[in-house]
Amino acid sequence: MELPEILFNPLVRGILGLCLMGGIFLGAMAVIWFERKLSADIQQRYGPMRTGPHGILQLVADAIKLFSKEDIIPKNADRLLFVSAPILLLGSIFLMLVAIPFGAVVINGITYPIAATEMDISILYIEAMSAISIVGIFMVAYSANNKYSLLGAFRNFARMIGYEVPLGICIVSVAVMAGSLNIVEIAEAQSPLWFIVMQPLGFVVFIIAMLADMGRLPFDQNESEEELIAGWITEYTGMRFGLGFFAEYMHLILGSMLITLLFLGGWNLPAALTANTILGIILPTAFFLGKVVLVILGIIMLRWAVPRFRIDQVVDLSWKRLLPLSLLNLGWVIALGLLGV
Amino acid sequence: MSEIIDISNIIYSYIPVAIILVVALLMPPLTMFLVKTLSPRSRSAAKYQTYEAGSVPTGDARIQFNVEYYLYAIAFVLFDIEVLFLYPWATVFKGHGIMMLATVEMLVFIFVVLFGYVYLLKKEALKWMK
Repeated sequence: MELPEILFNPLVRGILGLCLMGGIFLGAMAVIWFERKLSADIQQRYGPMRTGPHGILQLVADAIKLFSKEDIIPKNADRLLFVSAPILLLGSIFLMLVAIPFGAVVINGITYPIAATEMDISILYIEAMSAISIVGIFMVAYSANNKYSLLGAFRNFARMIGYEVPLGICIVSVAVMAGSLNIVEIAEAQSPLWFIVMQPLGFVVFIIAMLADMGRLPFDQNESEEELIAGWITEYTGMRFGLGFFAEYMHLILGSMLITLLFLGGWNLPAALTANTILGIILPTAFFLGKVVLVILGIIMLRWAVPRFRIDQVVDLSWKRLLPLSLLNLGWVIALGLLGV
Repeated sequence: MSEIIDISNIIYSYIPVAIILVVALLMPPLTMFLVKTLSPRSRSAAKYQTYEAGSVPTGDARIQFNVEYYLYAIAFVLFDIEVLFLYPWATVFKGHGIMMLATVEMLVFIFVVLFGYVYLLKKEALKWMK
């Protein structure tokens, strides 16, 4: 069986991208519900229970509420920046999503990744698009003319630029090992052995840097509710807040996908398991998404295990610990390469 | 290894990007338009004030920040460009028979950058509050 030619048409791929966009919206809603339930469990509460069985419709109710809330723009705010900042927040997420495969279909031993587009430099492209969200966050805070927001945004900038460098070096180490910047080829290069086994140090540095990149606890200094109200998003109300909030959760999902693709083996399964056509269509994607869910689960639980760091500790951690460690990992990868691994 | 790159393939791979970009540009304004039609409106002076723990805000929030903060930005630009130089190197490291040469070149490059890094550390440019 061959895939029909029409599936490789770029316009059809664009429509696939729109479907993935819808999928990630639903995914973000599920993750928000999941986080609320899990956090409640950890704190021995019930969490949302009233809307639907186990509160599963809570997010639908929240969305309806946000849509019917009045949109307030403070009179001291810079209106143009204030209104256009969500475009950057969401644009960064959606442009990242275009290049990330959401799984793969194996037919007759040939793997077709489920991604809107395949590029030679996709990992570089993804990192670049992910970095745009910093500008969006700063735009929100600067335009709002609120002191809490601005403090949050300054912290965010200091943190993000610190973690961008070790993150980049870890991605380079992975690219050296796979010999490619294409994320599909990187995932497939881990066919017998996952990169977490080959470069455990790189994995640790990458996951810490990725947590900071996603703004998850213990690295959510841009929000730090206890001291800065809601940090950078303080002046956003109603649906505008909803868009920023959603962007954060979509970033969490995409970040977990990147962790899985770069270090946890992606969708690779032994060829015997995917020989059957139906299994080949279902299993790799299910395996991949299963690992992504486990990563998300770990990240959510980490939120209740580690307290937030102070901003100077965070910045020191990135510049004085992670940067040398990531260079050490790069040296390790080069040494492995010279040994012919 | 040296296959001819078909430029139309590269352009094709960015068509979905363009489609998603248009949607991403349109989505927030459309959402806010929907909110505008659905939500109630009421005016009061206090509502449009910047939030500052319930009291009337004092002064402007857009202050001059400590200049040492920008040392981080400069260090970031230096190191991020260093990482950018690593990307093309990473793709040709394996399978081109230049592994030894590439290793030596990279070690020299990293040594030079590390020299700058140690200088920054000794100058305490990477210290949050002096």
